[in-house]
Amino acid sequence: MNSKTLFYILKRIGLALLTIWVVITVTFFVMHAVPGGPFMSEKAISETAQKALEEKYGLDKPLLEQYGTYLKDIVTRFDFGPSLKQRGRNVIDIIADGMKTSVKLGVIAAGIAGIVGIVLGAWAALRRNKLIDKIIMVLTTAFVSMPSFIMGSLLLVLFAITWMILPANGAASGGLVLPIITLSLYPMAYITRLTRSSMLDVLGQDYIRTAKAKGVSGGKIIFGHALKNSLIPVITYFGPMLAYIVTGSLVVEKIFAVPGIGRAFVKSITDRDYPMVMGTTIVLAVLIVVMNLVSDILYKVVDPRINFD
Amino acid sequence: MKKIIALLLALTMMLALVACSESTGSTGSTGTSSIAVCLSSEPDTLDPALNSAVDGATLISHLFAGLAKWTQDDSGKLVIAPDCAKELVEGVANADGTVTYTYTLRDGLKWSDGKDVTAKDFAFAWQRAASEALGADYGYMFEVVDGYGTDALNVKAVDDKTLEVTLSNAVSYWNELLAFPTYFPVREDVVSNEKWATDPSTYVSNGAYTMKSWEHNSVITLEKNPSYADADKIKMEKIEFYLSDDSNNMVANFKNGSWKLIDDVPTNEIPAMKEAYPDEFKVVGQIGTYYVCWNINKDILPEGTTLTGDEAEAARAEIRNAISMLFDRNYIVEKIGQAGQVPASSFVAMGMTNPDGTEFYKTAGHNDGFDGYYNVSKDAIESNFNAAVEILKKYYDYDGTKFTNFPTLTYLYNTSEGHKAIGEYLQAQLASVGITMNMENQEWNTFLNTRKSGDYSIARNGWLADYNDPICFLDMWTTVSGNNDVQFGKDAHANAKLYSMDLTDLGYDIKVENGTWGETYDVLIKTIKSCTDNNVRYELMHRAEDLLMSTGCICPLYFYTDIFMLSKTVKGFFSNPLGFKYFMYCTVEE
Repeated sequence: MNSKTLFYILKRIGLALLTIWVVITVTFFVMHAVPGGPFMSEKAISETAQKALEEKYGLDKPLLEQYGTYLKDIVTRFDFGPSLKQRGRNVIDIIADGMKTSVKLGVIAAGIAGIVGIVLGAWAALRRNKLIDKIIMVLTTAFVSMPSFIMGSLLLVLFAITWMILPANGAASGGLVLPIITLSLYPMAYITRLTRSSMLDVLGQDYIRTAKAKGVSGGKIIFGHALKNSLIPVITYFGPMLAYIVTGSLVVEKIFAVPGIGRAFVKSITDRDYPMVMGTTIVLAVLIVVMNLVSDILYKVVDPRINFD
Repeated sequence: MKKIIALLLALTMMLALVACSESTGSTGSTGTSSIAVCLSSEPDTLDPALNSAVDGATLISHLFAGLAKWTQDDSGKLVIAPDCAKELVEGVANADGTVTYTYTLRDGLKWSDGKDVTAKDFAFAWQRAASEALGADYGYMFEVVDGYGTDALNVKAVDDKTLEVTLSNAVSYWNELLAFPTYFPVREDVVSNEKWATDPSTYVSNGAYTMKSWEHNSVITLEKNPSYADADKIKMEKIEFYLSDDSNNMVANFKNGSWKLIDDVPTNEIPAMKEAYPDEFKVVGQIGTYYVCWNINKDILPEGTTLTGDEAEAARAEIRNAISMLFDRNYIVEKIGQAGQVPASSFVAMGMTNPDGTEFYKTAGHNDGFDGYYNVSKDAIESNFNAAVEILKKYYDYDGTKFTNFPTLTYLYNTSEGHKAIGEYLQAQLASVGITMNMENQEWNTFLNTRKSGDYSIARNGWLADYNDPICFLDMWTTVSGNNDVQFGKDAHANAKLYSMDLTDLGYDIKVENGTWGETYDVLIKTIKSCTDNNVRYELMHRAEDLLMSTGCICPLYFYTDIFMLSKTVKGFFSNPLGFKYFMYCTVEE
């Protein structure tokens, strides 16, 4: 790694931190500007009780002071505060609980999407215009165009109600299988198509023809030259795929009652549970920023021609 | 190449297997001694004092035992029976009008950690729940207890076994309150840990069950508590409360047999579920009213009207009442609600009873031919509609088919398909007489805020009872009430002098003519709360509702029902009118 690359990476980390700070600040003030509050309920509590609660959680202080305290607590103590709705629980514990499941769901879905997508894409490219290529293309077109809430509901009806071979409830044993399939189909199909077209492009390059002319074996051409080079666009897709999986899991977690972070995120907003809104937003922002960074750095590893200027 | 593809596929399968094997929980109950059900999503709290949700109350009713409990007698009738108390004693009236109850606790009552349950635990729990420092939603459930609103309630532990509590006056629903979760005991040393109610290891309870595990957002498992005093009567050994916020997911789990009871059915699935599961689709009464409320301070008179002041408010009341008669409530319950709701023409809900046992709503409105304040039967729809148009003609220009100068209204509702459908029906009915009503939906918390602050002209509303007494529908409309969405007695309405009441025939020296809301309604509610004669008290409550309905600000649409799906294999289940569900006496036949 040369100094230029190192400088680039440091710059990107600095920018990432700045992005997260902006996200925190904007979310904090927008959240407080939204009407309603954490102690608002259909059956109103008395004004004195409301004041007592606001005092307890520091919500009676000026907004800027609350913001300052919040930032300080995160930076110095990594303290996200208590949940205002789930009284007695800390935001960090609730997030950790949800993340356990969500990360498992996301990582496995991304893994399956990547592996199956690349294999199918390469296979389709090598068998161009044959029957298998056509089947793969028809299926992937269907998966790309079908939104996850339809795909999820379809799988739920077929596997959990009609055939009863998998549970409908994400908390049950084997309950993550359907959510994982639902979540991975779209990126899998996308990667398949990406790999196929990029592989076809690479296979038409002069250096492949040269290799063939020199008598290099088929396997070596594909794995030694073609596949690696055709993966660059796939790596570009890494960041957007993660964003898709994070947002897609909000829907999928709901359909299959998966105890993940997505539900906590949505609920915290309707509840005006300020520390929860902040906590979940920060976690998701960090996740996306870090993954984009990783995917940018991976570029360089795969394609040394890429210049970081 | 093929080898590598095979290798990659194998890797993928392994990943999928990891996903399957590490999950926890089970697909449902298999034996007869356990049951898996789903009421709602993760409860915000299982602290009896802090909980204000119906699903939370169900869980807490299984985990804790109060002085009294809801149960079924031998004939299957729902009754309130003593639980921790030896008996539910009668109160003793004191000279100052207060009433003192002295309860003796049963022998051998234990907390789940083995310590004795004492009267002190009750006294502590009640003081805590009512305190403003705790800020519990249901703190006001102790309003009937003498000393409420001061530093301490008038409740004390005479000794370990004797609890003495004094109420401001006799209350007919007192025993029911004793069976309400807010009145359940907690132990001081347990709740001093603020996190006590979030983890099974610190969750010390005294009821029929103990909390075995709580996998957040996933499942709460309760196990029978062998040291519960009535443990021999508890049939169900283990209850799994699955936590899901998606009603479609609940239906899927019900259909495949995983969950034996689900407490929610998506509105658009109701007809299909009713047809496919006629014996398992349950509709039970729930004490609550779905209604539309007006902001009393928003003008709806035509531009250029000559009416001002009290005359204008009297006209508005007549107009609002007329508009209430334009709607066909039967259409709403049959075509939109579809869950057995009952058309309503009064505010105090069905299920509330008079002292003689008759339904409160049937004697409301003092009309001979029908119940409530207007006739909502199917054959009265046309005459109602025509009568309403005649009234509106007094104030607005009418071109033979439509009113031409009714100001545009905006209907505020919280985002939901059901509320939207009802709003659209109201919109269409108004449009048929030339009144334009736009629809504005807001997300729940914003909606509550807008409605409470009175920043609307007409809004969707609903109210569920906390106990079987009409006062919980009536005291919310006093000027200072936090639930006074109509804004009675506030701003311009504070000075409107057009309400009269005469209570002299009931033995009170109260007679007001052309008084303000504060001089009439607020006084009436205060009188009801201090009234000790039950018959007089109910008559006062009828009069309060008369006054309330005369303003036209409340347009009741229907009385709520509670719908749920219950598997045929479950026997011994019951629920109470507040919607709490009881599984302790259930058996499951496979």
